[in-house]
Amino acid sequence: MTTTQAPAATARRRRTPRTWVKNGGLTALAFALPMILIFTVFSWGPIVRSVVMSFQKTNLLQPAEFVGFDNFIAVLNDPLLGTAVLNTLYFAALALVMGFPIPILMAVLMSEVRRGKGIYSALAYLPVVVPPVVAVLLWKVFYDASPNGVLNTVLGWVGIGPQPWLQSQAQAMPSLVIEATWAAAGGSIIIYLAALLAVPPELYDAAEVDGASIWRKAWHVTLPQLRGVIFVMLILQILATAQIFLEPFLFTGGGPVNSTTTVLLLIYRYAFQNSLGGNYGMATALSVMLAIFLALLSWIYFRLTARWSTS
Amino acid sequence: MTTETTTPAAQRAGSAALAGGVDTRRSRPLRWRKRRGPMIEDSRGIVSETDLRQPRVRRGMRVVHVFLSVTLVLAGLGPLLWLAKAAVTPTQDTLREPFALWPNGIDWANLSTAWNDIHIDQYFFNTVVIALGAWVFQMLIATTGAYTLSVLKPRYHRVLGSLVLATLFIPSVVLLVPLYLTVVSPPFLGRDYSLLNNYLAVWLPMAANAFNILLVKRFFDNLPREVIEAAQTDGAGPFRLFWSIILPMSKPILGVVSVFAVIAAWKDFLWPLLVLPDPAVQPLSVRLPAVQSQTELDVFLAALAIATIIPVVMFLLFQRVFLRSAGLGGAVKG
Amino acid sequence: MSIGRRTAAVGATLAASAMLVTACSSDGDPDTTPTSGGSAEAASGTIELRVATFPPGADEAAYEAFATQEAQFEEANPDIDVIGVEYEWTGPTFAVQLAGGSLPDVFTVPFTDSKTLLENGQLMDVTAEVDALGYSDRFNPIILDGVTDADGNIFGFPRQAYAMGLHYNRDLFEAAGLDPDNPPATWDEVREAAKAIADTTGKAGYSQMAINNTGGWQLTAQTVSRGGRTQVDNGDGTYTSSISNAGTKATLEFLHDVKWEDNAFGAKVDLDWGTINQEFAAGNLGMFTSGSDVYTALVRDFGMDPDQYGLTVMPLEGDDPGTLGGGDIAVVSPTVDESTKAAAVKWIDWYYMQKLMNEDAAKADAQALADSGQAVGTPVLPVLSRELYDESQQWIAEFVNVPQEQMTPFTENIWDQTPVGEPKGKTQEIYALLDPVVQAVLTDESADIDALLTQADQDAQALLDQ
Repeated sequence: MTTTQAPAATARRRRTPRTWVKNGGLTALAFALPMILIFTVFSWGPIVRSVVMSFQKTNLLQPAEFVGFDNFIAVLNDPLLGTAVLNTLYFAALALVMGFPIPILMAVLMSEVRRGKGIYSALAYLPVVVPPVVAVLLWKVFYDASPNGVLNTVLGWVGIGPQPWLQSQAQAMPSLVIEATWAAAGGSIIIYLAALLAVPPELYDAAEVDGASIWRKAWHVTLPQLRGVIFVMLILQILATAQIFLEPFLFTGGGPVNSTTTVLLLIYRYAFQNSLGGNYGMATALSVMLAIFLALLSWIYFRLTARWSTS
Repeated sequence: MTTETTTPAAQRAGSAALAGGVDTRRSRPLRWRKRRGPMIEDSRGIVSETDLRQPRVRRGMRVVHVFLSVTLVLAGLGPLLWLAKAAVTPTQDTLREPFALWPNGIDWANLSTAWNDIHIDQYFFNTVVIALGAWVFQMLIATTGAYTLSVLKPRYHRVLGSLVLATLFIPSVVLLVPLYLTVVSPPFLGRDYSLLNNYLAVWLPMAANAFNILLVKRFFDNLPREVIEAAQTDGAGPFRLFWSIILPMSKPILGVVSVFAVIAAWKDFLWPLLVLPDPAVQPLSVRLPAVQSQTELDVFLAALAIATIIPVVMFLLFQRVFLRSAGLGGAVKG
Repeated sequence: MSIGRRTAAVGATLAASAMLVTACSSDGDPDTTPTSGGSAEAASGTIELRVATFPPGADEAAYEAFATQEAQFEEANPDIDVIGVEYEWTGPTFAVQLAGGSLPDVFTVPFTDSKTLLENGQLMDVTAEVDALGYSDRFNPIILDGVTDADGNIFGFPRQAYAMGLHYNRDLFEAAGLDPDNPPATWDEVREAAKAIADTTGKAGYSQMAINNTGGWQLTAQTVSRGGRTQVDNGDGTYTSSISNAGTKATLEFLHDVKWEDNAFGAKVDLDWGTINQEFAAGNLGMFTSGSDVYTALVRDFGMDPDQYGLTVMPLEGDDPGTLGGGDIAVVSPTVDESTKAAAVKWIDWYYMQKLMNEDAAKADAQALADSGQAVGTPVLPVLSRELYDESQQWIAEFVNVPQEQMTPFTENIWDQTPVGEPKGKTQEIYALLDPVVQAVLTDESADIDALLTQADQDAQALLDQ
């Protein structure tokens, strides 16, 4: 420590603009500048501004005024907030139940087949390539609630009557999750598949020497090897579902009866849906609250991935 | 995972998902290598060759094959095939018998109507422009930024690096409103220089992507220092080093970042919706929902089909890009 | 769905209903960007005037009609270069477009929002111009009141009004054994007809908008037609919510019965102004209520077969029933300079006003619309006097291309109905609040209507007291 610090200290003492340029300071700055500028204007600045704005009342036209915690209080008093939080949790929970085990199962099966991994992966990944907006609009057609609707026709083949899908308070959210799962499962499958194919074959060989059955190998070799990636995917899924917006926005606009109004949709409404000027204060206040929660999650995620990638 | 490509934050989460899988693997500089995973047909899994000799297991594997084929074709290909069919089917046929194959003939005119009347061509072009610009800016910032942080290392690089990394923890939902107001009225410039309806409003915020910088920086960190030192001894200045040594050695990771950048820009919805209110400059993702209620179903489905075809074709190209980068990366690493 | 569609539904309605006359886009060639076209030729000395045009997705022919009119105007005013900008009144983006300078110089806003905009100082004062044109005492005073502030300053040109009507599909009526020339006159008859249509054709007999504020809008309209009012204007700038009234309750019970007792509502309970038009135009819907002038959009933007179209007045019942009306005003962006403002007023006068009062202008306008296959003769309400309106209908009689005989149940009876304006206090916010009430009745067979109304009433009052 002391040995490295000493020269640095002398260097600092002798530093002049001339030596700074000579030592490449200017070139380094030239390379750093685009990043610094972009991040200042489009990342750091807005982050700070968001926090400031959450304590302000502003409508773009009149100068902003500080209102203390009024925005936070207004948000917390909004009867829709509870609905939105519960809906978001419901979406997250449904997405976990439907969307989490399926890709793992599919990936495990796909990693076992001797032929066709490539074609299976391509098929699985295809929905991910469809632009999300197109996917939602297409599924909106599928969810046609009339007896001749696409999905209702399919249900009819197996003797199930027509379902209301998006037209029902009870079914709207599950419908959103089904589409979201369809649209995203492929990406997860590919990630799990990659993790599975990276499991060292020696581990299986060793287990076989001990006479392990297929099930025992799956339980004692495969799953432990996947633990890390499963956990990461879990956190990422929670992060993504907490910010779910596209599906409720395009499928239902938050209805029926606010049964699909999510937190992000509420933020959007505060900011952009009021007909004559947004309530940016309330929007940023809710954003800040959500962000603190999510930042905590991403911090956990980062700590864990950092640990895994260094261990 | 749910697809969330609506906000810059969500994109970050999305790409982070890909990286997440990657991060857990140890071969740090070559995380894209995983992409090759699915193509490896000879690696072994739970079921061994010995297991396969049991008839019970072989039957099981056949069941697995059937299950995978049926499920993946139905779920992965099914909806797209239906879309392809419906795109050239008259509205009433689609409404009455969604699964009948052209009971009243094929209506090819849907496609041209969609292309000409909904102006898919123009919005497609806009989408391409947005994706290309986003790619240029993201590459520029990611490579110069990573070069600063990994190679040049000015004395403030630690602070800078932490500040950039810190933004990874800030979900971009928090940016939505202030970033929007920044675009409406850029700092120091004011409303007269509003970036609304200007593609810069999409490109520049996308370039502030810490994830890309992290990805490229880690790759740079793992480049052989001897090569860099040798170049410096040969008198290569920082610009030459960057352009002629570092970048050519980094093609694999640049390919990965490119793919992320283009896909993210292609999929983005909420942000362009907000900052590009003028329909003439909007991308497909924003336009398609906007015209839905004024468009007859068959034409609308044709428009959806056209909007889908392009990324699907590109997907095939992406696969090759990934393969090639994997190959190149293996060589560098080797 | 665009933000616009998703939001100020009423706004969208009006903007689109405004279509009859608003017909305007840039150079009529949507292939070029709306803002490009004429601007290229803008020599020094000419004023570039950006004017509002159609909402997204409008028909090619609409642009042709606009191009013709644009050329006529530019010929008469060589110093003004008109640039059409695709436009739709989308509440949410208004403040931002205003701040960001992307708003057209001339655009239209619905009556319901003009008061608020005016109070926020978001509209240009055009008192002097209205006076100079001599319109001040020609407007229907009730309508002019909506664009006048406390000091008597005028902030816009009322240019079109509509009344709510019941639109029905004649083919479905016939298929169900109903007489299309004798449409339902009471809500009970509407219910019976809806059931007959649903039972015989399997299509939706009657539907109603329920999302993006249109649910609240239509609930209010039907409340009024049953003698109820959702809001009381105290006359001192304060308002009292009266959502929990017999008319609103009867409306919700009607919806409940059509949906759950008769099974005649159809499967879609998430329709708004655009999507209900789409359903109706596609022949999937027997009846719905909307502005009387929606025919134009139905045929032009949604491809409806004119032969199927029928229009009658809203059935009235209860004490003091009326027909909810609305309309929009042409306004000038508050940020333009003096010369642009003068050009803007010229355009408004030429494009929106003259055809209402000047025979030649009316004919030229009708001709331009008719030549490009646009609807001429869709029923609207006069913003000037009724006499002038009737007279103007004579002028353009030869160009009328809408099936007016299929609209006689409306045109012959509308004058007997009492026009009622939309609630003034927090109009859009309260419409938004009422959407879930409508949705609740349509998605929950055992929804407690009284409880819903009590809650909505409280929430609305809380909004009004803010």
